[in-house]
Amino acid sequence: MANTLIDSLKERISKAITVNQSVGIVLPGNNYSDLIQAFFEYVQSKPEDAWVYVTITKPYENIVKQFGNISEVRNIKFIDCISRAAGISTVDPNCIFIESPTMLEKLGLEIINIFKEVDEKVNKYLLLDSLSTLIIYNDPEIVTEFFYHLANKSRARNIHTISLAIEEEEVDRYLNKLIYLNDKILKVRDSFI
Amino acid sequence: MDLTEQVENELCQTGIEELDVMLGGGVPTGSTVLVVGSSGSGKTTLCMQYLINGARRGERGVFFTITEPLFKLTKNMEGFDFYDKQLIESGMVNLIDLRIISERLGLDTEKYTVEDAAALLDVLKDIADELNVKRLVIDSITALCYRLQTKEMIRDFIFKLGSSLAAMKCTTFLTSEVPPRVFQYSQYGIEEFIADGIIFLGDVERKGDLIRTFQVIKLRGQAHSRTKLAMSISSRNGVELAPLLKSRE
Repeated sequence: MANTLIDSLKERISKAITVNQSVGIVLPGNNYSDLIQAFFEYVQSKPEDAWVYVTITKPYENIVKQFGNISEVRNIKFIDCISRAAGISTVDPNCIFIESPTMLEKLGLEIINIFKEVDEKVNKYLLLDSLSTLIIYNDPEIVTEFFYHLANKSRARNIHTISLAIEEEEVDRYLNKLIYLNDKILKVRDSFI
Repeated sequence: MDLTEQVENELCQTGIEELDVMLGGGVPTGSTVLVVGSSGSGKTTLCMQYLINGARRGERGVFFTITEPLFKLTKNMEGFDFYDKQLIESGMVNLIDLRIISERLGLDTEKYTVEDAAALLDVLKDIADELNVKRLVIDSITALCYRLQTKEMIRDFIFKLGSSLAAMKCTTFLTSEVPPRVFQYSQYGIEEFIADGIIFLGDVERKGDLIRTFQVIKLRGQAHSRTKLAMSISSRNGVELAPLLKSRE
């Protein structure tokens, strides 16, 4: 049952991101792990594409522990915005560690730097995990400004973006404003999984 | 000479992509640019990257250090991917400890007389001429000015140095140390008036973290952006610039 539902999620992501330049996924917190699993399975099924995964939610080390071989998958690079701020000093050639999630300009630079090294013909995708956690560490206005810049840069470089938003009542007002900057919104409901 | 060649001759490209865009191609050749910032703001890294990028384009450079010994400077720079030891060994980038030069000239280590300053100036010009350098850095002009006893001496020294190097078509970066969080361009209040350009390296605080900033304040003879940018320094790419997010700054 769980596998079937994860497969359905993969299909939804796949369809949405193929057709649209940017996709926002709104999901309840308890569906987070299923979505990430579906996402990693999808990435592995498309080795010809290039992905950048920006984590502001979990340290890279935890993602590797939870999803095992993801550190060996060659078509995905990670940017970890929280480990250093949390005092975790892991080093990994597959991951760029940013000092703090407040350093949004640095994050933007690193995303573009990774994609600069990817062949122009290769499909490029970015996953931002998540807008809700970025808002925890930054003022919502600055996250909005960052997201506008990122969306424009990504469009200019033909990078497809997926941004996650975990539903929490306190930040709904800002998240709504942000998430609707995407071309397509997927709302994952408890009932779906 | 076609237009591209003419632009290349008249402008000195820093090799830092976003900066060259901001400057409309580069710094006018022969200019003296003050690179201002507090301790740890990235002045030395920016200047070294400017020299190394120049050497890669075939332009010889010289870096005069006064603030730190050469072994410390090279050790710090070896952490950057842009730093190429080969360029140092081949003489395309020359690193010189100005304190050693002063000692060899028999100059007072603390305070220079007018004659001392003139002797030092001559040596700097001779080195630049002999090595045929097109890019020169003094790190820092503040430490040098400290040894010059009057404002007139400082003015005279920088003016003569700048004029001589401009005649050699050598573009000069002088680092200027200022206290943190203070919007001033120099310790002595003179350097900025003689320099052709000012680059200000500062920072803004965001949630307790310091975000590096970069701003071109002036550059004579060249239209340029005055936008404040965010600056990043990484071992992989050295100095990089990006639009600064300004909400709630």
